[in-house]
Amino acid sequence: MYEALFIIDNARANTEWDAAIKHIQDILHKNGAEILKTEKWGEKKLAYKVKGHKRGTYLLVHFNAKSTAIPTLRRDFQLSDYIVRSLIVKDDKIEELSQIVPVEGAAPAVVVGKEVVEVPEISLLTEEVVSAKVTDNV
Amino acid sequence: MSKKQFNKTSKCRFCRMGADDIDYKDTQNLQKLTTSQGKLFSRKRSGNCARHQHSVKLSIKRARFMALLPFVA
Repeated sequence: MYEALFIIDNARANTEWDAAIKHIQDILHKNGAEILKTEKWGEKKLAYKVKGHKRGTYLLVHFNAKSTAIPTLRRDFQLSDYIVRSLIVKDDKIEELSQIVPVEGAAPAVVVGKEVVEVPEISLLTEEVVSAKVTDNV
Repeated sequence: MSKKQFNKTSKCRFCRMGADDIDYKDTQNLQKLTTSQGKLFSRKRSGNCARHQHSVKLSIKRARFMALLPFVA
């Protein structure tokens, strides 16, 4: 079970949101991922400039994929024009999604409402650093 | 004279909440564990146990990477 968070180019997200979502889904499907949930956080101000962008639209995706697919996924996301930045994190225990940001429903076709499965006690860090490389550089 | 006694029985804030791990998306709570400059609070300052301090560190660094929290404010 993986969790991906994307910052999508704001200008493109406003004008061609459906295309942007489809683009991301296509990349995921191409690599044999099964999308469980897609959630739009909406437009937010970035804490600092990322590739010249001051604002961005956040998109959260939960998906299942083979671990071997992750490096190619990560590279595809990096090459994408829509995506300013992405983070993929392994998460065995997907909780009820964030109450932080009021959630606007993503495009109806996008949401695959799969119930969250209860996972027994998990020791220590359940999130394994899939993106160790990325975070270490930080 | 009356130095504030450190209560050894008290647990860290996440232990008290019974939190397993800390979500990097929860920026409102993570922000409380950073200085106004955006630096991480020390373990002594935040009162976290080793396990949760590790988790906080990782979460804040992830949040910074995704521009949810500043590197330098």
